[in-house]
Amino acid sequence: MIEFSDVGLRYGNGPEILRDLTFSIEPGSFHFLTGPSGSGKTSLLRLLLLALKPSRGKVTMLNEDVGKLDRDSLLQMRRHIGIVFQEFRLLDHLTTFENVALPLRVLGQPESEYRPNVTELLEWVGLGERMHALPTVLSGGEKQRAAIARAVIARPKILLADEPTGNVDPDLSSRLVHLFAELNRTLGMTIILATHELPLLERFSYPRMVLNKGALTIHD
Amino acid sequence: MIKQLLARFTRRGAAAPIVPEHSVAGRTLLLLITIMSFLSAVTLGGVVLVQKSAIAWSADVGREMTIQIRPVEGEVMDSNLRTAVTLAQTTPGVAGARALTVEESQALLEPWLGAGLDLSAIEIPRLIVVQLADPVDADIEQLQRNLQAIKGASLDTHAAWRQQLNTMAGTVVVSGLLVLGLIGVATVLAIIFATRGAMASNREIVDVLHFIGASNKFIAGEFQGRFLSIGLQGGFLGALLCALFFALISMAAGSVLPSEATTQVGFIFGAFVLGIDGTIGVALVVPAIAALTAITSRLTVRRYLSEAS
Repeated sequence: MIEFSDVGLRYGNGPEILRDLTFSIEPGSFHFLTGPSGSGKTSLLRLLLLALKPSRGKVTMLNEDVGKLDRDSLLQMRRHIGIVFQEFRLLDHLTTFENVALPLRVLGQPESEYRPNVTELLEWVGLGERMHALPTVLSGGEKQRAAIARAVIARPKILLADEPTGNVDPDLSSRLVHLFAELNRTLGMTIILATHELPLLERFSYPRMVLNKGALTIHD
Repeated sequence: MIKQLLARFTRRGAAAPIVPEHSVAGRTLLLLITIMSFLSAVTLGGVVLVQKSAIAWSADVGREMTIQIRPVEGEVMDSNLRTAVTLAQTTPGVAGARALTVEESQALLEPWLGAGLDLSAIEIPRLIVVQLADPVDADIEQLQRNLQAIKGASLDTHAAWRQQLNTMAGTVVVSGLLVLGLIGVATVLAIIFATRGAMASNREIVDVLHFIGASNKFIAGEFQGRFLSIGLQGGFLGALLCALFFALISMAAGSVLPSEATTQVGFIFGAFVLGIDGTIGVALVVPAIAALTAITSRLTVRRYLSEAS
């Protein structure tokens, strides 16, 4: 599903933020990505999201050498990857329903086609009653569930989450990780969830990708 | 209502617009485009008005010539007048010729010499107005040759006047078109800056759209729809203001100016009425400005997105 081979990343002429990354992620797996602040978690997620090009090494995703893909193919590849941010990044002028439906609109689906799917997903994440509310009136947990729904509505093969529990209380954090686990189990999505919350890592026994000063080790 | 219709026209399907309709940049751009459209429409209307008046003047003056008979010692004025009228009337292409009466000649001199002056004691030059049936086919050279037989007679074809008039009207039209071009350039530059400002203030939307897999073409289309809507609204408002402006000027010319001045102004500029061609020109400002806004903003958005990604 994902293979990194001797991958390094530097910004401009600065030092390498990530170095010698070599690992592979199997389809349908769930990994925590952890490490201290500044260790390069977000940079690695941006590499996985194809928002950055590595300075060196080879990245293979969905059996394609990413370095050889043209602009259009990269765009197509990106549509197989969902992303959830710590700060939600919902569009405040759109309702919860419209925010979640956004990836399907981008794909050119008419509303009549996507309405039942979006409604069903919103019911599933517990936002059926809030689908017409604007993000500004949603709680932190509701916003994050809406952001997760938006990330998975187009059924991506890979789901990345950058500190998705960073802005919610510990109890809700646990429930959100359960939601990711359910998505992994029922839909078979490959999930990489970045977090530095130790209680979560201890509660869920998924493999951990640990970044430290740009170097990665994987603990199964 | 118009705003809603326009917004609906440019929106994709019934879904909510991805780019917010009431952003500050949008309002500023709408005001700017309204002003630019108004200036374009007024300039265009002015050009049409001047050109129409110049054509009308030129046609009127071109259909008329004047024979002047100066008093010459030993010559009988009335006899010379009759001869000149006959010569004119027998010239091919001439529809008619009429000598102005003494009273009419005195009336012409009134603005310079004042009213109530008895001019019967002095001999003044007399004029014969010659109407041409067809200015192209009229044998003016033959009339000029024949008039040489009458002492003190000269023919004024108003060619110099017409030349001057055409030059002046041409200068005004070219200047107007130049101003129109400059307004167009200023509009394009303003749209570029406003678009970049709008893109910067909507950076979060652009980023989110990129992250969920939207192509630059899709994002540009969403922004272009918004800018096309603003362009249509601004163009429509500008054209409407221009129509009101000309209606007000027309009313003001009729009510504020004294009747003599109104007649003079009316003679020079017509009735300040745009007419069908002027109205069509002003109406065309709406799609022209909308297209200019849409194309400029699309190119700017595409360039911005290329730079951003």
